[in-house]
Amino acid sequence: MPSAPFPEIARVDARDKVLGRTLYAADVPQTDPLHAMLVPAAITRGRLVSLDPGVAGRVPGVVRVLTSDDFPVPPEPDPDGPPPPPPTLTAQIAYFGQPVALVVAESLEAAIEGAEALAASATYEAEGFVAVLGADSPREEVEPRRVGDAEAALAAAATRIEDLYEIPVQHHNPIELIATSVRLSEGRLIIDEPQQGVDIARFGVAGALQMDPEAITVRSAYIGGAFGQKGFAQRQTAIVARAAILTGRPVKLVTPRGQLFHLTYHRPASRHQVRLGADAGGRLTGLAYDAVQENTPGGAFAAADYHEGAGRLYGIENYSGTAADVFVDRHAPGYMRGTHPYGACFAIESALDELAIASGRDPVEIRLANDTATDPLTGNPLSARHLNACLREGARRFGWERRTAETASMWAEDGSIIGMGVASGIFPAAVAAGEVTLRVSANGTTRLIASGHEMGQGIRTMLANTILQQLDVDPDGIEIVLGDTDASPQFMTAGQWGTTSIVSATADAAARLAAAYAELAGERTPAGNLNVRLARLRRPYLEVKGRQKGPGQDASALEEFRQRGFPLAGPEYPQFTSMSHIAHFAEVHVEPTTRRVRVARMVSIVDCGRVISPRTARSQVYGGVVWAIGHTLGEGSEIDPRFGGVLNDDLADYVVAVNADIGEIDVGFIDEPDPMISDVGAKGLGELTMVGASAAIANAIRHATGRRIRKLPIRVDDLL
Amino acid sequence: MQPFTYLTPGSAEEAVAAYAEAGEGAVFVAGGTNLYDLMKLGIARPSHLIDVTGIEGLDTISTEGEELRFGANAKMSAVAAHDHVAGQYPVLSESLWKAAAPQLRNMATVGANLLQRTRCLYFRNGAGSVSTVGVYPCNKRAPGSGCAAIGGLDRGQAVLGTSEACTAVSPGDWPVALTALDASVEVLGRDGARRIPITEFYRLPGSTPDVEFALAPGEIVTAVTVPRTEAGRRSTYHKLRDRASYAFALASAAVALEMEGETVRRARIALGGVATVPWRASGVEAALAGRRLSRDLALEAARGAFAEARPGRQNGFKIDLGAQTLADALMIAMDRA
Ligand SMILES: Cc1cc2nc3c(=O)[nH]c(=O)nc-3n(C[C@H](O)[C@H](O)[C@H](O)COP(=O)(O)OP(=O)(O)OC[C@H]3O[C@@H](n4cnc5c(N)ncnc54)[C@H](O)[C@@H]3O)c2cc1C
Repeated sequence: MPSAPFPEIARVDARDKVLGRTLYAADVPQTDPLHAMLVPAAITRGRLVSLDPGVAGRVPGVVRVLTSDDFPVPPEPDPDGPPPPPPTLTAQIAYFGQPVALVVAESLEAAIEGAEALAASATYEAEGFVAVLGADSPREEVEPRRVGDAEAALAAAATRIEDLYEIPVQHHNPIELIATSVRLSEGRLIIDEPQQGVDIARFGVAGALQMDPEAITVRSAYIGGAFGQKGFAQRQTAIVARAAILTGRPVKLVTPRGQLFHLTYHRPASRHQVRLGADAGGRLTGLAYDAVQENTPGGAFAAADYHEGAGRLYGIENYSGTAADVFVDRHAPGYMRGTHPYGACFAIESALDELAIASGRDPVEIRLANDTATDPLTGNPLSARHLNACLREGARRFGWERRTAETASMWAEDGSIIGMGVASGIFPAAVAAGEVTLRVSANGTTRLIASGHEMGQGIRTMLANTILQQLDVDPDGIEIVLGDTDASPQFMTAGQWGTTSIVSATADAAARLAAAYAELAGERTPAGNLNVRLARLRRPYLEVKGRQKGPGQDASALEEFRQRGFPLAGPEYPQFTSMSHIAHFAEVHVEPTTRRVRVARMVSIVDCGRVISPRTARSQVYGGVVWAIGHTLGEGSEIDPRFGGVLNDDLADYVVAVNADIGEIDVGFIDEPDPMISDVGAKGLGELTMVGASAAIANAIRHATGRRIRKLPIRVDDLL
Repeated sequence: MQPFTYLTPGSAEEAVAAYAEAGEGAVFVAGGTNLYDLMKLGIARPSHLIDVTGIEGLDTISTEGEELRFGANAKMSAVAAHDHVAGQYPVLSESLWKAAAPQLRNMATVGANLLQRTRCLYFRNGAGSVSTVGVYPCNKRAPGSGCAAIGGLDRGQAVLGTSEACTAVSPGDWPVALTALDASVEVLGRDGARRIPITEFYRLPGSTPDVEFALAPGEIVTAVTVPRTEAGRRSTYHKLRDRASYAFALASAAVALEMEGETVRRARIALGGVATVPWRASGVEAALAGRRLSRDLALEAARGAFAEARPGRQNGFKIDLGAQTLADALMIAMDRA
């Protein structure tokens, strides 16, 4: 039975965070720690020929230098086995800034000085390289996704739009930097690091150091922003772990921000060719969409995934989806909020705006008219699709009816041109099988142990709200243990499946606990909340397990979870497909002289199924929209193809949005559960929030200026 | 990082003496917001830091006499918020408000601000520091190594005052406002005190882009002076950047006008973000003198400032943006009574 709407509660960890009490990985106290610094490679491709560890060793305070000689030879990659762990220190250089050594010292200053001396001593054999995606780079095709006959539909279309859209390289810049802190305890490695998948990190370290995973604990209790950057095993983890083993002391590494731009996952540059056709009635009949992205051989960020969202935005019966990788000599790309649908929707939703203009239709109307109840890619029903409700509610709140269609037809009092734009966004609703343990105690505590990572999205608040919705326990006594490989198997918290999965398992646990209590109490009706009642019944605690399986998953999925696998299902389930949806409305003000753009307001209405925690959900949408404004108007990692490194590698020069850039943001939710995905009916929203927002802003800029900008970021240079 | 000594002289004379005594590798430091950054980047590697912030009386702001006088140690935020400055010389106040961020303005001094170094990405990356990962040649940082910005990613580079050796932009906002108002810089050295007109304070890059200021080694900036002018009231600092705050200028204009009705008696104009030094636009000033100011005239005259501009691959937009920014600044200043 789907749940009732959830009440709003305060963030359970807000007070500690505001008081600075929350311990992030690098804050976890270590006894007598050593400090580490990585030495980045100064070439983009080739081989490290020599390093002189002596120069670092002469720096007072330097304790040890680690090079490739300190690591086991990696095993031959097994094509049928799990993905290989990230490499450690190697002489072979595959990207600019790749770590070639680690310096460990008594102080951070000494580690830095040692690392700089070591870097200066390095000699290389450089090879030719390709650092950036070019217009005609060789393509590595992936399996296309086609239904119907897009070419025929486009040939017959009354209106046809064809264009190329470009997304630049973008780097996550959470305030918390890449960090790893390792200590040894009774022969075990205890690793604290910001991670969205502590078990993945654990297996990565075990693989790289050829250790028994049972001897490794990885913990990530709080993350200061992840957004996909910290979803895979990170290269530095095993390197720092090795340093702790070799020195026998705790070792802590916090990378400088400049390194973060070189040795982490990021959004790859991508090019999106869109051909979109409609019949005379405004019905979309065909979409041919080709996506090309940067990748590295074997990279986990799959080009094929551009079609997961793109093929389901509207009821387009003829779809031709092709995609390819272009290999570049850089760190592998990875997930960044909005992932594939972010680029796909920037392109397709811009093209749809073009098509609306070309066929003289209203941009909201044309979207409403192309809704679908069926997944065009599979023919199965789409469960609980409320995109049109988002568009209608958004248009109402935004005041879309005041918009006049002509270019530069609306003016603000300060003399700037007003532009209004709309765009939709979509993101797969996946779910992972999992199990949680819930214990309610007579001493007033309630403890939930779950798979999950708190990266600021508010998962603890959601889980607390889920418990409180069903059980009358002391809210102040709730403790939620997350991101700890000792406490529970941990699947990666990403792709916005965390809530859907673990909230459902927690709801199941709460129901079982209520049942267990009913059985215990029988006819007795003691007063007080559940904790007090247990005390009155002289029962120290009740403990249950709650489980969640995705639609179509059987008991083997839970077993896979227990074996620390990754039992993920969706968005294509056996009987149906489930997606989250969003409609963004943007109002921009463009200064007619200098073409300065300001996003004066945004209205974003979300269909994410059941909203589990209204406050943190709203906050997710604010964050996504703010970030999308930054993405649209500022962010882009600048790589000089002659050198291969990122030039604007700090927060002053990589232009994220600041407070002064942000106008009004109005957020709303449809809050209709998806009864097919789970009992609770949540579909996830973290990734979704950014998707389509850049197109809404670009469409508004087109409305104000008549200029269609088909690449991000959109800057004054493009509009003058 | 390399070890350094740290001295805190109590007077300007002591600071000058301390510098001479320290010898090789001595550097003055005020708020540290630029110097410490450069040290982390490996660009500055001082062996002796001489902290000038303890110097008695060097942070005084005086607006009483023939000229405004800002002690070198006055904080950017203090000058920006000063009643007389904000009311009578908006161009000065705005140039400080629109720079950096509150935390930086509370630390940084108006004397040291004159000496901040360029934000050219190739200059900043490449000194072998582990906090920025780069190996770029740069004639300003390593004379003779070449200029990677020329023929490279040059969107942020200058279009005016460039040379074959360097196209790096002079980054500061405050120096642009001071240039429009004919300010002077007071300095003290071993040979005594002298006063340098701001227009002579900054060196064009030419073939020696590493020489940026007309300051002899060991000379300390003690004050900035601005001649009083009625034009201060009709003034503005207009700044275009990649975001609404916390960014250096893509193009900026400092304008102060003396008007007779709608006719310009005299305009004082300097440009930022587009040139290798704070750029006095005397040609535009002359073109406006005696004319009735309108947006059309403003834009036409402003375009004249860029007649000699030499754009690279991606920074050609600065010519149009610079002219539009200046034209807008002229209109804003005109509307101020
Ligand atoms: C992220 C960021 C953004 C910024 N944005 C802007 C901006 O938008 N606009 C802008 O104009 N500025 C901006 N700045 C620069 C900032 O204004 C300067 O860093 C600041 O003004 C320097 O002052 P300080 O007192 O901190 O100087 P310090 O760092 O202490 O010194 C700077 C230089 O001056 C020398 N020096 C200091 N005092 C004296 C003296 N009395 N005599 C001789 N030499 C001296 C030092 O040796 C050093 O070379 C920004 C800085 C940062 C870090």
